[in-house]
Amino acid sequence: MTLRQSDYPTFLDALVRTKQVIVCAGAGGVGKTTTSAALGLAGAMAGRRVLVLTIDPARRLAEAMGIPESGRTPARVDRALLEVAGAPSIGELSAWMLDPAVVLEDMVRRWADSEEAAARILSNKVYVALSRLVAGMQEYTAAEALHSLVSTGDYDLVVLDTPPSRNAIAFLDGPGKLAGFLDERIIGLFLPGKGGALWKRATQLVSIVFGRAFGDGFFHDLQEFLGLFAGMFSRMREHATHVRTILQSQATAYVLVTSPEPAALAEVAFFREQIREKGLPFAGYVLNRSWAFTRGFKNPTGIPAPDNAPACAAEAARKLQVLAEEELVRAVRDRSLLERLRDRSGGAFATASPHLGEGIEDLRGLVDLARCLVLPSAARG
Amino acid sequence: MAMTQLGELLRRRVVLVTGKGGVGKTTVAAALARAAATAGKRVLAAEIASDEAAPSPLAMALGAAASDEDPIDVAPGIRCVRISPSRGHRDFLREAMPMRFLADAAMRSDAIRQFLKAAPTFSEMGILYRILHLTRQRRFDGDVEHEIVIVDLPATGHALALTQLPEAILRLIPGGPIVTAVKDGLALVTDGEQTATVVVTLPEALPVSETLELAKKLERDRILVTAFVLNRAPTNLFGDAERAFLDTWLSGEAHVLGVRSLHRIDRAEKARSRLSASYPGMIFELPDLLDDETLAVRLSQTLARATAVAAEASA
Repeated sequence: MTLRQSDYPTFLDALVRTKQVIVCAGAGGVGKTTTSAALGLAGAMAGRRVLVLTIDPARRLAEAMGIPESGRTPARVDRALLEVAGAPSIGELSAWMLDPAVVLEDMVRRWADSEEAAARILSNKVYVALSRLVAGMQEYTAAEALHSLVSTGDYDLVVLDTPPSRNAIAFLDGPGKLAGFLDERIIGLFLPGKGGALWKRATQLVSIVFGRAFGDGFFHDLQEFLGLFAGMFSRMREHATHVRTILQSQATAYVLVTSPEPAALAEVAFFREQIREKGLPFAGYVLNRSWAFTRGFKNPTGIPAPDNAPACAAEAARKLQVLAEEELVRAVRDRSLLERLRDRSGGAFATASPHLGEGIEDLRGLVDLARCLVLPSAARG
Repeated sequence: MAMTQLGELLRRRVVLVTGKGGVGKTTVAAALARAAATAGKRVLAAEIASDEAAPSPLAMALGAAASDEDPIDVAPGIRCVRISPSRGHRDFLREAMPMRFLADAAMRSDAIRQFLKAAPTFSEMGILYRILHLTRQRRFDGDVEHEIVIVDLPATGHALALTQLPEAILRLIPGGPIVTAVKDGLALVTDGEQTATVVVTLPEALPVSETLELAKKLERDRILVTAFVLNRAPTNLFGDAERAFLDTWLSGEAHVLGVRSLHRIDRAEKARSRLSASYPGMIFELPDLLDDETLAVRLSQTLARATAVAAEASA
């Protein structure tokens, strides 16, 4: 009844020891951010300098790790806190819950031709709307942050927790939503310039449509924004290309996180297909919130009834037994799910993390999860 | 005449179903669609998809293989549609442009299509306009095509992006047809008589906290939550005396099968009372059932039954 792999390190053990980047993807609400943090912690416990990069604001996790919810730069997790939590870390653990608007603003300040140009961009209406945009911006800023972090050489491993959107992987691989918006060919249509007759007609169409549907004022703001931003596009593309090279190389591993729910599994199948199509380095699955772990658990029938048991004792024990049977059914279901995940991708790895009730409350809980992910049998004494 | 809780919810033209990822929003949206169809309504179940390759979880929960950009029949009384921003843009441009061919030319232009898809707030605008368009569709006899449109919003962020749209658009664009379109769309979703907002959550501490935060944010944007759904609620089999006995009996044991489920019941009780203390309105509770292709049907029956119980209790 025990999991075969629990006596051996899981595939995740090798990943956190050797990879430069681990990308965690999956549906929202499956515990992806927590899993990313635990993998980062496992890397630090293996002696590496690790950064966990997440976009989901996770207040409780930030509190547990003693770091700000959204800072301008990565924050180091206090070594003393880690030791108290039972992780005598010989490496380093940092985390950054990044705010897309902050990353974008830093980019503008770094790359604008002058301070004045930066100020004009930052106060442009279209820029302001863009920086508040949640969808699309997350993926873009994650890629940009990843680029600068990998370039500094400050970290041996970056664990990237992708936003819970369908294009999370597609974006990392190629031009995504924002990159599409910032494409020079499209921008060209909005900017006054030279071109053939066909080009002029296209530009004319754009100005008519936008003038009619959205008003001339907006068209003007958009032109100003794109004009100011134009100089930065080549740099952005350069970085995007660099990030893509890393993410396609063997230095990176993609881990798909899921829960046993059919909806989450369908989402993960979608990501798996995308990873296959794009030829990205896929490493395996983590089945989160799983009931597969039953090792060390007693069946209630094996516990002797007390001498002074009340009248309702037998009935209470019978009902508890019902719950116990249900847990066993779930355990069997989750184990066969793991087998299916392995089979489906030609012997890929899949491992389960235990059902931790309410989720991670503190750093100690995260340490337990980290241990369990890399070596299940070490999780319980 | 007294109306049941479910009837009260389903008298609206639009039901927006939202909540954090992984709480079973899609299943609840499907169950509501089933319940509305059982109540004799012509139902349109709408799911939002940004690209064509994405799967159709809502259509699947209703027993169909996939949905399409135009409504298709998926079950008796239920049609399913996939709402894409691009289709909303086309609908909008066709109405906003003086000549239809200009709108079609615009949507054929890669640049404009890409721009609308990628530019800030325009994607939400397209979704909102498409919802508006679908509720306005009429049959040949002049009656509305779909009496109720149930929208499965993909994530918490989306609901907020939709409600914050007017502010964002008005800041960006001061006037013109787009402002009218957005205002019309907003008038629809902020009118509690026409639109119900259902927030799905789980009976656990953190999801309930996040849900209450979401409700507050929505309220700031003038959207009142019509009902909460506590999904996958564990059934408490135990009387107080039984529970007290178990606690003493098992106090010295470390890992016992069934005890994790007991703790889950405790957490659910706590979460439930916290939600009902903070929110006086409708709360539907759905049991934790085996998830298969009949789940939506079984849950829609639970919704109807839960209503009967609530109606008796209030009578």
